Amino acid sequence: MMNSNAEVNKVKKGKVLVAMSGGVDSSVAAALLVEQGYEVIGATMQVWDYSQCDITEGSGTCCSSIDVDDARSVADKLNIPFYVLNCEAKFKTTVIDPFVSAYLQGQTPLPCVNCNTYLKFDHLVKKMKELGCDYLATGHYAQIVQDDNGKSHIVTSTDDWKDQTYFLFTIQPEIIPHLLFPIGHLKKPELRKIAEEKGLTVARKKDSTGICFVGDKGYDQFIKEQVSSEILKSKKGLIKRYPHGEVMASHEGIHLYTIGQGKGLGMTYHEKLFVIKIDAIENTVWVGEEKYLMNDTVQVIEPHLLSDVVDGETLNVKIRYQHRGAEAKVQKNENGYLLKFTEPQRAVTPGQAAVFYRNQNTLVGGGWIKI
Amino acid sequence: MSGQSELRSERIYLDHNATTPLSVRVQQSIQKNIENWGNPSSIHIDSRGPKTILRETRKLFAEIFQCSPLELIFNSGASEGNNTVLKSVWSKYQMEKNEYIISAIEHPSVVKSAQYLETLGAVIHWIPVDKKGRLDLSFVQHKISNKTALISCMFANNETGTLLPIRELSQIAQQHQVLFHVDCVQALGKEVLSLADLKIDYATFSAHKFYALKGCGVLFVRKGSPYTNLIHGGGQERGRRGGTENILSIASLLAALQGYSELAEKKKNMTVLRDQMESEILKTIPLAEVTAGLSPRLANTSSLVIPGVDGETLLMSLDLKGFSVSTGAACSSGNPEPSPVLLAIGLSRQEAQNSLRVSLGWGTTAEEIQTFVQTLAEVVQRIREANNFFIPNSSSENKVV
Repeated sequence: MMNSNAEVNKVKKGKVLVAMSGGVDSSVAAALLVEQGYEVIGATMQVWDYSQCDITEGSGTCCSSIDVDDARSVADKLNIPFYVLNCEAKFKTTVIDPFVSAYLQGQTPLPCVNCNTYLKFDHLVKKMKELGCDYLATGHYAQIVQDDNGKSHIVTSTDDWKDQTYFLFTIQPEIIPHLLFPIGHLKKPELRKIAEEKGLTVARKKDSTGICFVGDKGYDQFIKEQVSSEILKSKKGLIKRYPHGEVMASHEGIHLYTIGQGKGLGMTYHEKLFVIKIDAIENTVWVGEEKYLMNDTVQVIEPHLLSDVVDGETLNVKIRYQHRGAEAKVQKNENGYLLKFTEPQRAVTPGQAAVFYRNQNTLVGGGWIKI
Repeated sequence: MSGQSELRSERIYLDHNATTPLSVRVQQSIQKNIENWGNPSSIHIDSRGPKTILRETRKLFAEIFQCSPLELIFNSGASEGNNTVLKSVWSKYQMEKNEYIISAIEHPSVVKSAQYLETLGAVIHWIPVDKKGRLDLSFVQHKISNKTALISCMFANNETGTLLPIRELSQIAQQHQVLFHVDCVQALGKEVLSLADLKIDYATFSAHKFYALKGCGVLFVRKGSPYTNLIHGGGQERGRRGGTENILSIASLLAALQGYSELAEKKKNMTVLRDQMESEILKTIPLAEVTAGLSPRLANTSSLVIPGVDGETLLMSLDLKGFSVSTGAACSSGNPEPSPVLLAIGLSRQEAQNSLRVSLGWGTTAEEIQTFVQTLAEVVQRIREANNFFIPNSSSENKVV
């Protein structure tokens, strides 16, 4: 049994359920919580049946759940209990299906937000409560601060490049006091150093890039596997020149294009052309000069706020994950919010989120871009 | 180790249908048999000990289960045994007799083998089993024909503990001169079984369900029943199963079998404790139900449905408090989809997800059961509160079905 001091300390600090993906970020998050004296329980959400990936019975080894094994080995090293939660069905309906259908509607989806909305900050919050935990921790690059009134806010991470608050705008405000982001104050090299020092096997593991369930095959291949060939065929159409509509070429499906795309259009032309918009009804991909990509007015639907917005308030808005953020006036309307940017923005893409920040770093909320 | 995990260090193990701890007798045998590292197939003196172990274990097993030692084949476990049986029968009859009648609640090693045979041309008739664990014998009568190669049914179900009508099935099989296979994994150490009594052609066993080591199984093949090797190799097991025998594991089975005479007493003890446990649970946990509780069951198994409580979370919570239980079959954990067996007997998805399996063992004590029931009630209440689960103002809803 544990010695009594450690026991008292843990009772005081509380009990934490930590989401462990098997990556270095959440592994270090778990390690730091243990060091800080929390009672820590690790959990990995099994979200996708990797056995379906590439491997069928009788052909080679299974790539399945290497990440789950990594998470488990970190939990062993930290000597904390660890469980795998089966979230496959929920992940399919709330993340995969909307992801595929958004592409088929000519949008560029953002599955990580749905995963946060329906799995990490819903399913795991439920598990946290059921297990009698006080907190849920994740390895997100984000921080939580309290204002003078004791209200908790999510703010951006110390590492600007890694900040992931963009994906967190759908969190319910009332659960913020129950959240811990143990690595939000670290820069990646510091984090890797901690992982090395603590002897975590994942210390040198490559950063995950892209969408976890798509893997190396690319999203077009993924969609091909998920959708019948009839549906894919029905998405073929024409590429037209914006704004006058001269036909430039035909294409193999609107899901293969994204707003602002300049490469891989399958045409040679004397000037550089970009995808300006995608018409999912006519299956038309509109291409044109870069100037047509610029927009200063953006409609945001299905908004979600973590704290109040004064109507007409100027906030800093990010329109995609890697966007640096730009000033916009935020005006409520019947569909959500209308954003008026001070400077026009390039390639505003339906399906992506517009996320609002106050004072550059405090997450206020956001919504989905619709033009 | 410093900073010992939050897992309670003094644990109470109530998952004996998944595997059993090693009995003291077995632990001692392991120490003793370390010297028996020789290859039993060798000619020199180092093979003598291993040879003796094989001979003695086979002899004792045959005595207990009333068959001939020659009818027993040592292998790696019941999954191998079940695969061997189904594939052997297929090899013998192929399309000539390509129909198989198999209960709908079999272990995956039977289900997946059967599905594999389907790809080769077999037709599988899955025998329905109801909520009370009753197998539909009229279905068997209806489906059996001169195309039937095999009837396969487990002795007792690993999840609900219900006993299947082996005697009746063996009679039907005999009448129609159809081969009969019984997966006896859950019978070992829980129920008396005689292979002389019944017309069973194949029976499969695993040592690790009976307080012995993993990696050893016994396959009974009645003299004259078709057999084809699953593993070809050396002349081991009279050429019926290639591969050097797992002597240490087989020796551990011998040690476990040497305590077999305690079965009657242990069974009585487990029945009393299990019944006490269930009656306490039904008293203290509103809306809890015992699946197939009034049906003939193994003495040690209790399958519970606890509405408002996700089995996955319940298992985790109990684990953290020092209790090992199960939500379904251990083979499929890590993938806690609702148990196919519970779905097959007609539980809803929700009921299956609210299920918990508690399986007692020879060493389970009254104190352990008392502590367990207390903790279970506390944990259930906490989870229900966290989910704002509404309990109607009456506990008379509890029932055994």
